[in-house]
Amino acid sequence: MLQRIAGGDSAAVRECIDQYGALIWSIARRLSRTPSDAEDGTQEVFLDIWRSASRFDASQGSEKVFIAMIARRRLIDRLRKTSAEPPMDTMEALELVGSGDQATTSESSMEAEQATRALAELRPEQRQVLELGLLHGLSQSEIATRLNMPLGTVKSFMRRGLIKVRENMNIAAEGVSARI
Amino acid sequence: MPETPPQGQPDEAMVDLLIKQVTEGLSSAEQRELDVMDSETASAYLRDFERAAAAVTLAAGTRGASLPPELAQRIARQAAEHFGPGAEALVASAPGASAQVSSLDAARSAKLDAGTASPRRASASRSGTYGWLAAAACLVLAVFGWMRSPAPPEAPAVAVLPPTTIIPPVPPPPPAPPTPAQERTALLAKSDSIKVTLGATKDPASKGVNGDVVWDPVTQKGFLHFVGLAANDPAVKQYQLWIFDAARDQRYPIDGGVFDVPADASEVVIPFNASLAVSKAAAFAVTVEKPGGVVVSARQHVVALGAAS
Repeated sequence: MLQRIAGGDSAAVRECIDQYGALIWSIARRLSRTPSDAEDGTQEVFLDIWRSASRFDASQGSEKVFIAMIARRRLIDRLRKTSAEPPMDTMEALELVGSGDQATTSESSMEAEQATRALAELRPEQRQVLELGLLHGLSQSEIATRLNMPLGTVKSFMRRGLIKVRENMNIAAEGVSARI
Repeated sequence: MPETPPQGQPDEAMVDLLIKQVTEGLSSAEQRELDVMDSETASAYLRDFERAAAAVTLAAGTRGASLPPELAQRIARQAAEHFGPGAEALVASAPGASAQVSSLDAARSAKLDAGTASPRRASASRSGTYGWLAAAACLVLAVFGWMRSPAPPEAPAVAVLPPTTIIPPVPPPPPAPPTPAQERTALLAKSDSIKVTLGATKDPASKGVNGDVVWDPVTQKGFLHFVGLAANDPAVKQYQLWIFDAARDQRYPIDGGVFDVPADASEVVIPFNASLAVSKAAAFAVTVEKPGGVVVSARQHVVALGAAS
């Protein structure tokens, strides 16, 4: 689909909105401070997809992962820019999560299965840190405060967790994991 | 003294910066710090960590979210502007183009009627002009041709039959999708599903509540079933399901999503998925939360609770 979008096939554009709209919207809601931010962020993500479609390389991973990467990159950038704004209650923003949901729809893909397996192998507190950071957009400092955990421990859990997922995705990481 | 990593391998400082970039972004100072490191190694590992983070995001699923129709329209409009007028037509005629697209076209038509200049209008206008020119040219050629050509020999009389029209058989209507209640019944029949009775609590809102959860540990899907759970106004509060996994810290149950009970429903069946993989479902709880639910519940209003035997 991304190759067709890169080639200017607008039917593929429509398919992309239909197929990945829910995924991008769910990520935007998790990684935005307000509903309005989530909407603006979703629009920006799609614009990034139109612009980046030609760079998709199927040998580097699935289309779904490519889309999720673009979404995360854009939304984290937006989150970082808004984090300096005056008083914003992080937890209030996080309570957007799940808005209007009746059920959860899993995004099946090989990478998601690998990540699930990796998460299952982590210690509960490591998994908790990774989930709060990756899924709910909490900064490492916020996680430390939230879980009453030293910042160094949060960093260590985050590092080990992400490296574990990376290893499970068959990415050569022996050098990193061996030393860290 | 920190160990120097082999060529092409990141050191701990680089890994920390890359992970921070992937999870929360870098400050200007941190970005400058990363910029002076080995850029090739940093790029390669950044991409890997981004992939890993994206995979975890996918593993968490969409929580049943669907793109709001009005936002989908704005994105379609934005795409049409980005890809140009030809793309606009294709978007509108794409297979499965929904009512959203029709609405979008209607909105565009209204915009055009209001005299707003747009690429599509210019294109349509050009098409119209070319059409009239082509028609005029055909007419001139036809007139001159008629004037100059001798009368053609009379063609033999041939019976012209209308083309055969093959009417394809009408396919049978697709079967109606099963209702959540039917799906729940089917899941109950599976040997590996579990059923947990949900009982009322001391919370006043819990009075008279009867319910259960049917959970499939294989597909990680389940159904909530309630009788007597009070209707809620989604703008004021929503119910949220929590799944306690025996393999996880019990302080942080897994979010099963939020749901509503309509005013006229005495009995509801609500499908759900866990937002994260559940190794062994130990208990289920339903709380009352703010609209949209919460990440961690204060558990002030638990309206139903049940443990797996």
